Amino acid sequence: MNNKIELIVNGILENVSVVRVCIAAFLAKQNITIDELSDIKTAVSEAVTNSIEHGYVETKGNVNVIAKIANVDNMVFLVVEVKDNGIGIQDVGLATTPAYTSKPELEHAGMGFTIMETFMDEVVIDSTIGQGTKITMTKRLRTVKE
Amino acid sequence: MKYKYIDIENKLLIELNEEIDIDTCTTLRSVVDGYILKYNPRECELDMEKVNFMDSSGIGFIAGRYNLAKMLGCDLVIKKPNASIRKLLEMSSISKNIKVV
Repeated sequence: MNNKIELIVNGILENVSVVRVCIAAFLAKQNITIDELSDIKTAVSEAVTNSIEHGYVETKGNVNVIAKIANVDNMVFLVVEVKDNGIGIQDVGLATTPAYTSKPELEHAGMGFTIMETFMDEVVIDSTIGQGTKITMTKRLRTVKE
Repeated sequence: MKYKYIDIENKLLIELNEEIDIDTCTTLRSVVDGYILKYNPRECELDMEKVNFMDSSGIGFIAGRYNLAKMLGCDLVIKKPNASIRKLLEMSSISKNIKVV
């Protein structure tokens, strides 16, 4: 069965956990393992953290999260879209380099994108300078039994 | 978060019981650093048994405490992380330096 939720949260750090909890609740009826759920929560947490921490540097704004369960060719997919209207990513190649961080003084590990790419099956980054960034992450949850 | 200092062993035990993300690690960072600086222990143990979520902010948090501890000649030990946290630690380079039990 297909399903969808859309969340609009203020881009403040305490909402990272709010989004995580909502995603977990959205997935509660899906037949997935605790490990899979944990991976998804971590990936979503990274994307939302990036939007707030790096997208909204001088401006404030919302983070828009859409999560969809879609059934395609007898396979169930989760698609999570995390979108901000922040500054955008200057150099996507650099930003996705493992251990690279634009803010080393803040003890960031620089692993956000690496984690998203490892824990989800596909990560698409769509970023425009001055307009914002949209991260679309897809994970195959299971095959539907005939 | 709870803490206990064992004087006779010069050991600081910190029990974390919150989800560790960018929001919570700001407070955790200053509190844990405060205790490390106060007691200057030989060993500092971060007990993560009750932590059910951590993302890359937690990696940064642990790496930062490792650096402080190392500077003060203190060993940092991560105790009982769950499978997901263990996986994150292994993905990062800090697992090479920090003892995980």
